[in-house]
Amino acid sequence: METQSEEQAAAETADSRGEGEPPPVAGAQAARPEDRMTLLLRVRAQTKQQLLEYKSMVDANEEKTPEQIMQEKEIEAKIEELEKEIEEAKIAFEMKKLALDRMQLSSALKKHLEKINIKTSVLMDNMKQILSLNKLVMKSQQEARDLEDKLLDVRKKRLQLKQASERKLLEIQTEKNKQKDDLSSMENSGKIKTIQQNLEMEIQITTVIQHVFQNLILGSKANWAEDSALKETVLQLEKNLTMIQ
Amino acid sequence: MSVLRPLDKLPGLNTATILLVGTEDALLQQLAEAMLKEDCTSELKVHLAKSLPLPSNVNRPRIDLIVFVVNLHSKHSLRNVEESLHRVDATFFLGKVSFLATGAGRESHCSIHRNTVMKLAHTYRSPLLFCDLEIEDFRDTMAQRLVRMLQICAGHVPNVSALNLLSLLQSSENPSLDDL
Repeated sequence: METQSEEQAAAETADSRGEGEPPPVAGAQAARPEDRMTLLLRVRAQTKQQLLEYKSMVDANEEKTPEQIMQEKEIEAKIEELEKEIEEAKIAFEMKKLALDRMQLSSALKKHLEKINIKTSVLMDNMKQILSLNKLVMKSQQEARDLEDKLLDVRKKRLQLKQASERKLLEIQTEKNKQKDDLSSMENSGKIKTIQQNLEMEIQITTVIQHVFQNLILGSKANWAEDSALKETVLQLEKNLTMIQ
Repeated sequence: MSVLRPLDKLPGLNTATILLVGTEDALLQQLAEAMLKEDCTSELKVHLAKSLPLPSNVNRPRIDLIVFVVNLHSKHSLRNVEESLHRVDATFFLGKVSFLATGAGRESHCSIHRNTVMKLAHTYRSPLLFCDLEIEDFRDTMAQRLVRMLQICAGHVPNVSALNLLSLLQSSENPSLDDL
């Protein structure tokens, strides 16, 4: 089996050489055994992968496909479900690989640390720098948080002030409305109306009395221009007392 | 055989085979040459076909990756591909089939809308690649990409399987299809 594959491998190398890579003839003989080894290893990896494919196909064929006739939409939904399953399996696998890698890395690091001289290695310098940077980062984060807290306090106070001013304005508005209501109610009340009527009557009486006085003075043929009081009474003919309200 | 099955033959040692299906002979030929020029540790074999089913009298190795090439300028190529898709076994679509749309660069000549091809790729759950096969640089890049995909589908890359690659390639395409 081994010799067979070796002969085949030799034949294959000749083929692939003929295809597109013409190396110098002199170096060819010396490079042959290494080429053969790499080719063998490569073919081994290929065969493994192909075997995996065939196995998975065999497994897949053993699963029974549903016999009932499904509608196209259902088939599409089923396909998407299966695709999601594939994606989830891939993601889970990647996560596990990451976890494994991390474990391997940490164990390799541990072994390395046990071997080296602690004071002089580059790794320790890196670690120290990482630690100092981490401290800086934490400090700045703390400062940022404090500033944010202060900002939050200021904002809260502003909100409270706003609310207080809103309340005050509301109070002012209600007071004003109350005043207006009182005023309008007062104006409409009966008392004011009677007072107004009385006032009007008094004014009319006064006007009539005034007219009487004026006519008396005119009729008496006295010289009213000389006396200032008489002059005033007569000249009030012009003024209309109902205008004075 | 009228239906192509993915794993019905044993794989050749260090060999990977790709099948390009499409009506544009010249483009496929150029793409095949570009792929063979690529630096690859495994031996590459490129088969070209106008349509499936393939003639059964030829002794051909196990096919690892099928690429259906659709030319956006001709409806005939799309129809050809759609008919050939019936000749492929369902298990092939677990990562071993890919669609390649060419000719998207010249919008005025496109008779097939991009969304048609995207829908097709979505129905078959396979990756869709866009490449203007007439431009040499794009063709070389696409050849490189196809060679990598082929290596994975043939099992030459340890720890990555065709299905794995499929789920990796799918996530970026699905969001745009919600607009369809």
